[in-house]
Amino acid sequence: MLTHWRQYLAISPFFVIFGVFSFFPVFYSLYLAFQRWDGMGTMQFVGLDQFRFLWSDPVFWMSIRNTLVIWVLSTVPTLFGALVLATLLHSVRRFKSFYRIALYIPNVTSIVAVSIFFGAVFSNNFGLVNAILGMVGISPVPWLSNPWLIKLVIALLMTWMWTGYNMIIYLAGLQAIPTQIYEAAKLDGAGPVRTFFQITMPIMRPIILFTVIISTINGLQSFSEPQVLFGSNAANPNLGGPGQAGLTTLLYFYQSAFVNNDYGYGAAIVWAFFVLIMVLVVVNWRLVQRGRKS
Amino acid sequence: MDLSRRGFLQAAALTAAASGLTVACGNGSGSAGSKNGKNLTLWYWGGALSDKVVAEAKTHFSGQVKLTAASIGGDFKQKLTTTLAAGSSVPDITGIKGEDMASFLPNAGRFLDLNDLGFKEISSKYLDWKTKLAQTEDGKQIGFPIDIGPTALFYRADLFDKAGLPTDPDKVAAQAGTWEEYFALGTELRKKLPGTYLVNNISSVFTIAVGQGTERFIDKNNRFIGDQDHIRTAWNTAIRPYTLGIDAKINDNTWNAAIGKSLTTELGAAWHALDIEQAAPGTKGKWRVCATPGGPANQGGSYLALPKQCRNPEEAFKIISWILSPENDARGFADAAIFPAAPAAYTMPAMTGGDPFFGGQKVIEVFGPAAKAIPASYEAPADAAVMAPYFTELTSVEAKGKKPEDAWKDAVSQAKQIARRQGVK
Repeated sequence: MLTHWRQYLAISPFFVIFGVFSFFPVFYSLYLAFQRWDGMGTMQFVGLDQFRFLWSDPVFWMSIRNTLVIWVLSTVPTLFGALVLATLLHSVRRFKSFYRIALYIPNVTSIVAVSIFFGAVFSNNFGLVNAILGMVGISPVPWLSNPWLIKLVIALLMTWMWTGYNMIIYLAGLQAIPTQIYEAAKLDGAGPVRTFFQITMPIMRPIILFTVIISTINGLQSFSEPQVLFGSNAANPNLGGPGQAGLTTLLYFYQSAFVNNDYGYGAAIVWAFFVLIMVLVVVNWRLVQRGRKS
Repeated sequence: MDLSRRGFLQAAALTAAASGLTVACGNGSGSAGSKNGKNLTLWYWGGALSDKVVAEAKTHFSGQVKLTAASIGGDFKQKLTTTLAAGSSVPDITGIKGEDMASFLPNAGRFLDLNDLGFKEISSKYLDWKTKLAQTEDGKQIGFPIDIGPTALFYRADLFDKAGLPTDPDKVAAQAGTWEEYFALGTELRKKLPGTYLVNNISSVFTIAVGQGTERFIDKNNRFIGDQDHIRTAWNTAIRPYTLGIDAKINDNTWNAAIGKSLTTELGAAWHALDIEQAAPGTKGKWRVCATPGGPANQGGSYLALPKQCRNPEEAFKIISWILSPENDARGFADAAIFPAAPAAYTMPAMTGGDPFFGGQKVIEVFGPAAKAIPASYEAPADAAVMAPYFTELTSVEAKGKKPEDAWKDAVSQAKQIARRQGVK
């Protein structure tokens, strides 16, 4: 150990930063989950009270439901769209890098800017989408007040952000498939659709499952989208849009801890949510293992 | 296993935010020690103070101290809370928003008692109810009032005229003296001018109706009273425009677009005038202001406070009492629509002039009397959190057509739960 001190020193920055900013806060927040604390005053030990509140808090369960619905609504089109785009891009011959950059750009644009833009486009009364619908004689759709449409708009926003990101991963996977396999399939008389489903898809399976897990983690953490779409202020504190239909778990955590100054309860929310993410990740991991065996 | 570690790391980063510790790292410029420091920092947010007055304060006090003013963006309360909790880099003078004051009062020990520094002698210059809201039970004064937000009814005189209604502020105020009369006026307006609405949403009615009372959601004995008659009445008042069909139901960010078009009236505090002016510059001269139906309420309005770590309390107090003197307060109104908490300012020329946006109306004649008549009410630290479910349910009524009675029951049960969580009996 001591003979390698230089090496350990060299890799220490990560561990020091991780320890201070991630490892310690994780356990500190676990400690907080058993306290009542307004962020400044003295902490008060309340035992399992916060978790008991959590268990009987309908808003918490609704936020979990909202998060899962938004996650499914965004992950499915994101991954499907990414795969289709990657396949198309894989066969394109000219302007390859242009398409790659163009499709990846949504992922690097500021999520806040995108949310503001979506808010304007889908606005109930004065939005672009409703204006266009109005032109063809369709009455305005309440995008930002109907409980389902709110989720749809948030999911659409996330799809727009993450399709390009997943596409790049798929494209890398596609390029790793030897061209001989495709040539052999062509010789055997397989058309493009059959090639896609019987050659591309099976070979890509581990990569697809990888993106599913990444999307699980990203999708469950949706926060900025509803936060910006339904920006709150003192006069009109909309917590996740009309009827809280866009209240995701992380937004609820944020509101509890930082808006209501209820840090203990906030910590309890994220810890409960952490357990949920772990469960979903384990399920996905199992799927990956099974995919490898077959 | 790689992947679950990733999940672990991401959750770790999240919870890091939960503890609020990551934000609180900075260099320790606010460490205690000598109490006659030469460098003072002032934290405020854009629009909290007149930038011109702050700039002048810097030169005015340059002989004694160097004042550095920082306009802090983002969530001001959260930044101040974490800084105070960490105890370093604490500003010497800080703004506190009116709605956050209640949540800072239980931690009054983190601030200096302004009465010790001489606020007692000048406190009569400021509105009593406003000063009291920044006072602890045992009389410690932690906030120096900057401004207040007396409410009024803004209305489109041109549309009133079109509908054959009176346009003169006094006459409108007389005709819309109570909430019921006001809603009747709205119904008439809608009949004459189809497609127009009286209020932007019912949450704004609820906010003001609650503010018109002397009690809120939690009483002085830390008991939940959000299910009692005074709140129920405010709730019923808020539901009325919805049932009458004069509610525009604007709960998204489109208020800006609606204000110049389909809204005939708008309820709000004095500072709201600037919002209307910025959102609908084309309606300049068409608006007027009159008294709020059912009496005035307060919305917003902030304080300046001196954290315990203040490096030069005497000078800092001199600075804030200079910045917030009635003369400079009056200028704040002219510069940034900050409505003074010092009544003496209301008669100063900076405030008594006509406002061109309101067709030359002397708006102080409406806001001035309103400011003095605002009822004092006790605001508990958990008040804002407990109030939130009522808003949520009101938006549910508007967006989903939820039955008002069900919405009321859900709001109360949700509010009770939040109250219990925050230690209210």
